[in-house]
Amino acid sequence: MSNLIQMFKPKTKAQTTTLFAWALIAPAALVMFWVVVWPLYETFRLSFTNSTLGTLMGGAEYVGWENYEKAIGGRKFPSIVTRTFYWMFLSVGLKVVLGLIGATLLASNIRGRGIFRALVMPPWIVPIAIGCFGWLWLYNGHFGLLSNFAEMAGITDGPYSFLAYKQSAFYSAVVTDVWIGTPMVTLFFLAAMQGVPRDLYEAAYVDGASRWYRFRRITMPQIMPTVISMALLSAIWTFNSFEIIWILTEGGPRGATTTLIIDTFKTAIFSYKFGAGATRAVLVCLLLGVFSLIYLTVLGWVGKKYGYAGVQK
Amino acid sequence: MMDKYSLLQKIGIYTSIALFITFMLLPFVEMFIASLRPLTHLFSRPEVPVGETMSFVDFMSRFWSDKMSFQAYRDMWVTVPQLPRYIFNSVFLATAVTFISLCFVIPAAYAYARFSFKGKSVSLTLFLAVNMFTGAVLLIPLYKLLRMYGLLNTYWAMIIPGVAFLIPQGIWLLKTFLEKIPYELEEAAFVDGASRLYTLRRVILPLAVPGLIVVGIAIFIGAYAQQFLFAITFNQNRDYMPLPAGIFEFIGYQTVLWNEMMAASLVGVLPVLFIFLFMQKHLIAGLTSGAVKE
Amino acid sequence: MKNIKKAILLAFIGAGLMAPVQAEEVHAIICGGEIRPADQVVFDAFEAKYSGVKVNAEAVPWGTCQDKSMTLAAAGDPVGLAYIGSRTLKQLGRSGLIVPVDISDEMQALYQPGVLATVSDGGQFWGYPHAFSTKALFINCGLVEAAGEACVAPRTWEGLYNMAKAVNDNTSAAGIGLAARDFDNTMHQFLNYLYSNGGTVSNADTGEITFNSPETVETLAFIGKLAGVAQEGPSGYERSQLTQLYNDGQIGMYINGPWGGGQHNDNIAEIVVPVPAGPSGSSGTLLITDSMAVFKGSANEDLAMELAQMMTSGEAQYDLDMSWGLTPILQYEKMRDDVYYSTDYWQTFVEPIGRGGPEPMFEDFKALQAGINGAIQGIILGDGSAADLVAEASETLAEGL
Repeated sequence: MSNLIQMFKPKTKAQTTTLFAWALIAPAALVMFWVVVWPLYETFRLSFTNSTLGTLMGGAEYVGWENYEKAIGGRKFPSIVTRTFYWMFLSVGLKVVLGLIGATLLASNIRGRGIFRALVMPPWIVPIAIGCFGWLWLYNGHFGLLSNFAEMAGITDGPYSFLAYKQSAFYSAVVTDVWIGTPMVTLFFLAAMQGVPRDLYEAAYVDGASRWYRFRRITMPQIMPTVISMALLSAIWTFNSFEIIWILTEGGPRGATTTLIIDTFKTAIFSYKFGAGATRAVLVCLLLGVFSLIYLTVLGWVGKKYGYAGVQK
Repeated sequence: MMDKYSLLQKIGIYTSIALFITFMLLPFVEMFIASLRPLTHLFSRPEVPVGETMSFVDFMSRFWSDKMSFQAYRDMWVTVPQLPRYIFNSVFLATAVTFISLCFVIPAAYAYARFSFKGKSVSLTLFLAVNMFTGAVLLIPLYKLLRMYGLLNTYWAMIIPGVAFLIPQGIWLLKTFLEKIPYELEEAAFVDGASRLYTLRRVILPLAVPGLIVVGIAIFIGAYAQQFLFAITFNQNRDYMPLPAGIFEFIGYQTVLWNEMMAASLVGVLPVLFIFLFMQKHLIAGLTSGAVKE
Repeated sequence: MKNIKKAILLAFIGAGLMAPVQAEEVHAIICGGEIRPADQVVFDAFEAKYSGVKVNAEAVPWGTCQDKSMTLAAAGDPVGLAYIGSRTLKQLGRSGLIVPVDISDEMQALYQPGVLATVSDGGQFWGYPHAFSTKALFINCGLVEAAGEACVAPRTWEGLYNMAKAVNDNTSAAGIGLAARDFDNTMHQFLNYLYSNGGTVSNADTGEITFNSPETVETLAFIGKLAGVAQEGPSGYERSQLTQLYNDGQIGMYINGPWGGGQHNDNIAEIVVPVPAGPSGSSGTLLITDSMAVFKGSANEDLAMELAQMMTSGEAQYDLDMSWGLTPILQYEKMRDDVYYSTDYWQTFVEPIGRGGPEPMFEDFKALQAGINGAIQGIILGDGSAADLVAEASETLAEGL
C-alpha cells in the first residue's frame, strides 16, 4: 500500500509544481465540469442528429455529417463567414484603438478623472438590449438625432434611415458594437497602465524622453499582455455578438448584417432545429478555435521580439 | 514634474475626453428624453415647413417639448410593482456570482500566471472554448441539469450557470495582471521561509489589487448582463427575478411602454454606477514603485 | 392566500424532488405581466370544481412567454397549457408536443368565420383560439385635406396610390407608411395587400405553395411603387414605428389593427377604411389568432384541456377581447345583447372577416417570414424584378411548408 502511495508522490520539483498548480485550478475546473461539460457534450452529439422540437427527448436520428454538409454547402455560407470575420476584425480593431486612447486619457493626472472614468462605464453596465434600443432611436430616419443633425448640417436632403440600407446598416451595427465593448476594454487597459512601475517613467523622463516616446517604449510593451488577452476575448465575444445586430436589423436588410450567429439563430434556433443549431455552434467553435490558435502563435513570435515579463520558471 | 501638462495639452485632454464621453453617453440622451415624454408623443421630428431645410433652431427643438415631465418615473413603480425587488435581486445576484467566481478564479489564475506545468495550454484553451459557445444552444441541456439537481426556481438557478460561464474569462483576464507582478517579490518571501499559500495571500494579493478590482468589476457586470437569459428560463418565481427580466414587463400586447422602460433602465443603472465610482479609486498609479530596488 | 399555496408548492419543487411536477396541479403559462382578474375568476371556478387540484398560473412577460413554454416542452417538462401564436401550432403538432383539442359543434358555430382555419392542420384543431385580429387602413384626414384631396376611402390600389402621392407631394409628410423591416408584421402587411388582390400563399389541403403567381408579382410590384410615396427608408421600419410616425404627422396613412385607435393621438382626425382592392381581387384582410395550446405529457392533460376551454369561452373570452381591443373572436351577438363592437369604427374590422384569409400555417414559420420579407426588402432596395423576387421567395417557402 505504501508502495502505491510512493508511486504517486511527486518526486521532482516539476512534479510538485504541477501538483500544486492543479490543486489551485481544480476547484474552477470542477465547477466547469459539473455545469458545462455535459451540455457541451450534448451539443456536440446533437450536431450529428436531426433533432428538432419533438425529438429532443429521444427519437432523433443520427444523420452523420449531413448537417455539416448542409450548413457549409449553403450558397450563402462563404459570404456569411467572410462577413463575420470582417465584422470581428473591424469592431475589435476599433475597440482596441479607442480603448487605448480612452485609457491614456483617463490615466492622465487631471481633475475629475474619477467622474470621467465612471461616465465612460454606462454602455457596459446597462443591459445590452436597452443600449441597443437607444441606438435604434439614434439611427431612426425621422426622429433620430443623427439623421436630424445631418439634415440640419446640410449633409443630407431629408431624413436618412441608417439601418435601411445595406452598407450603412452594417457600419451602424459596427459602431453600436464598438460602443458597447469599448468601456470594458478601456477599463482593462487603464488598470494595466496603472500597474506599470512609476520608476520606469521617471527614469525616462529624467533622460528627456517625450510623452509619445514614453508611451511607445514603456507603456505599450508593459501592457501588451493585457492588450493581447483582451483583444482575443473581445474577438470571441464580437464573433458571437447576437443581440446587437438582432435588435438593430435582424440581419437585414437583405442579409447585409447577417453574421454566422445571426444565420444560426434564423435558420436553426428560432425554428427549434436543435441538430442544425448544434452543428453551427460547433462550427463557430471550430472557426474561433482555429483563429485563436493562429492569433496566439503569431503573437508568440511578436512577443519574443518585445520580451515582456511573463511566466517564470 | 512629469505629470504637469501645459495649457494646450490640458485643453487637448479635456476636449478629447469630452468627445469620448459624448460618444459613450449619446444614446442615453435619447433614452432620457424618451423617458420624459408621454407615450403618444414619444418621438417627434422637428417641424420643417414644406420646401425648406431644417435650421439649427428647429434641430434644438427636438430636445425640448412642453409635454415633458417626470411622470414616467412615477408610473413605472405602478406598472411594475416589484421593481425595487428586481433591482435588489440584480445587485444581489451579481454580487454573489462575483464573490463565488473570484474564489475559483484567483487560485486558478495564479497557477496559470506563475507555473508551467503539464496540461497548461490545453486546459487554458478548454476554459476559453466555453466562451465560444453561445448560451442559446446550451440552454436546454442546462435546464435538464438544473432540474435534476432540483435547483430550479431558486437563486441558485441563476447563480450557478452565471459562475460557470464567467470563470473562464475571469481566469483569462486575471492571469495577465498576475503575470506582471515581478517574481523577485515572491522569491524574497521564499528566501524568508514562507510557504506558497502564504505568499499568495500576503504578498501577491495586495499587489494584484488593481487587477482584482477590474476583473471583479468585469465579472460583476458580466453577471448583471447574463442574468436575463438564465432568469427567464430557469426561474419561475417572480420574487427572484432580476432587473433585466423585470424590464420586459413594460412590453405589452401591442404597445411597449418605452418611456417607463427607459426610466426603469436608467434608474437600474445607478446602483452599479455608484459602486463603480467607489471602486475605481483603487485604480491608482504606481503600486509597485519602490517595492523592489534593483 | 393563493400566493402562500403557490409558495409552498414551489418550495416543494425546489427541495429537489425528482418528479418534474406535483401530481395535482395544472401549470399554465399566461403572457403578460399579471394574471387578469377575468382569468382569475376562471381559475377559482376551476379549483372549486376540482378540489385538490391547483392552477399554477405563471405570468411571463410578452416577448419571452412563447419561448418559455417551448423550452419547457422541449426539455421534457411541459406545462399544461400555454398562450402561443397560432402560427406555431403546426410545428408543435407535427413535433408531437401538443395534443389536438376538442371543440364542440356548438362552439365551432360560435367562432367568427375563418378563425378555426388558423388553428387547423390535417383535419384537426390544435389550439383554442384566444385572441383575434384583422386589419384596416387608417387615414389622417388632416393631412389628406391639406393636400387638397377629399378624405374618403380609396376603393382601389390606384386610388390609394393617388391619395398617398398627393399627400407626399403637397405636404411635408410622406404619403403612406410602409414597413419593410424583417419583422412578422411586415409580412402581415404584405398579406393584407395580397389577400386584397386575390393572391394566396399555399393551399392548405394539397400542401403546395401557390405563392408564385401573377397576383403575387402584381402585389409585390405595387409595394415597390408605394415605396416611392412612402416614408424614407422603409427597410428600417416595422409597424409600431409607423404608429410613431403617424402620431407625429409624418405619414398620411398606414395599415394597423383595431388597437390602433387607442394608440393614436386624440388630435389626429382620422378615418378607418377597409384595405383597398387590387386589380385582381377584392378587398380582403388578414386573420391572425393566438391560441391556448394544450401540451402533451403534462401531469393533468385532460384537466388542462378543460381549463383551456373555460378560458377561451364565455365571459372570460369576451372580457379579453374587449379589454385588449381585439377583433371579436366569437360571434358574441349570438350570446348577448350589447357588444363592444357595434360602432362604425369596429365594423370596419368586423365586416371584412368573411372575406379575409388566414395567416398561412407553416411548419417552419420562420422560413415563411424570411421568404416574404426578403422579397419585400428586395423590391424596395431594387435588388431584382418582382417576378424574380417572388420566385426566389417561393423556393424559401417551399422548404418550410
